[in-house]
Amino acid sequence: MTADPTRCVTCGDEAVTARVVALRGGDAVIEVDGTRERVAIDLVPDARPGDTLLCHAGIALSRVEAAAR
Amino acid sequence: MRFVDEYRDPAVARALSAEIHALVADTGTVRIMEVCGGHTHAIYRHGLEDLLPPEIELVHGPGCPVCVIPMGRVDDAIAIAETGGVTLATFGDMMRVPGGRGSLLEAKARGADVRMVYSPLDALALARREPDRHVCFFAIGFETTAPATAITLRRAREEGAANFSVFCNHVLIEPPLRAILETPGLRVDAFVGPGHVSSVIGSDRYSFIPEEYGRPVVVSAFEPVDLLQAIAMLVRQRAEGRCEVENQYTRVVRPDGNPRALEAIAETMEERDDFEWRGVGVLPRSALRVREPFARWDAERLFTIPGARIEDPKACRCGEVLTGQIKPWECGVFGTACTPEQPLGTCMVSSEGACAAYFSYGRARRRREEAPVGA
Repeated sequence: MTADPTRCVTCGDEAVTARVVALRGGDAVIEVDGTRERVAIDLVPDARPGDTLLCHAGIALSRVEAAAR
Repeated sequence: MRFVDEYRDPAVARALSAEIHALVADTGTVRIMEVCGGHTHAIYRHGLEDLLPPEIELVHGPGCPVCVIPMGRVDDAIAIAETGGVTLATFGDMMRVPGGRGSLLEAKARGADVRMVYSPLDALALARREPDRHVCFFAIGFETTAPATAITLRRAREEGAANFSVFCNHVLIEPPLRAILETPGLRVDAFVGPGHVSSVIGSDRYSFIPEEYGRPVVVSAFEPVDLLQAIAMLVRQRAEGRCEVENQYTRVVRPDGNPRALEAIAETMEERDDFEWRGVGVLPRSALRVREPFARWDAERLFTIPGARIEDPKACRCGEVLTGQIKPWECGVFGTACTPEQPLGTCMVSSEGACAAYFSYGRARRRREEAPVGA
């Protein structure tokens, strides 16, 4: 994930939400702060471009859905 | 940015602050433990304590995986890193954690091949690129991070990777919560439950806390409005005489978590009989090891691991900080012998450690407040 000195990558409780811009070779290409990265979508296999995913340590953990507050 | 901006709206934050102020008139003091280091960091980064009435006391919990790794396991990782032909890959924060023989960063300075990665998949890719070296991934983290290690072990098996292994130190969130809840004289009335751990294990997994220990839990996200809303939900439960698990983080967390992630963990890893937690002690069935079908990629089966228990420095009170018994500033070495640049204890290493959060965002204010009473 993108390096941010105020965040601890280890924990994952500062995991990032990112938009899927493409699928490539079984992975998703996500955009975080203008930078594109690949993440494994083994755990969110129906991810599609336009989805927002919660990503941590190179994998997507969950899809982020609009929620009523 | 969607899913961020709406959770930083000052008007919504002010309304929630007003609601909490009104509710505490009925409830009196409510001591709330935020379990997760990410929440601790967010509370201080956004100055949320300033929006809360004095009746709300925030207590920091054990949920920082860097902070709970015992010194002996750091020494074990150094022993692996110093083995000929081995590259040890790990997350950046882990490189600075002091063990009995210094940190991984110091081992690197002595000549060991230690490299920082953002994902265990990057460590596997490194093994692919450098077939003449053995790449060992020093895996740490709660259930949030364990799925990435699980996926990597599956891929290592699919590829038949011959020069890759995992030194597994994944820990589980429930055992330390039970240990805290069973602490004699516990001074915690309610819990803000971890957000991203819960995206994996699900919010239903905390039902033992209200059912067995009579404390409410609200699983929360990490933006300022999220945390204020979670605190308001907890105080509202108290005001209405309810005690249950609620989920503030519905945009990510489902009641049953992510079943695929849980399956991947269960396929590749199993519970250890016990595991040492820094400052907390040995907790039964509180950590994971690599399962036998993946033994080819298990560093504990491939390398001679010293496995020594190392006592924490006497001056360090990380254990009491991690279990909410003292505030970071009550430790005698806080901000003097122990700073983020030169940490003595793990809570000062990770940006999500309670001591580092206090040092970075709250120390000056705390000192000013205390000056009049001469503390």
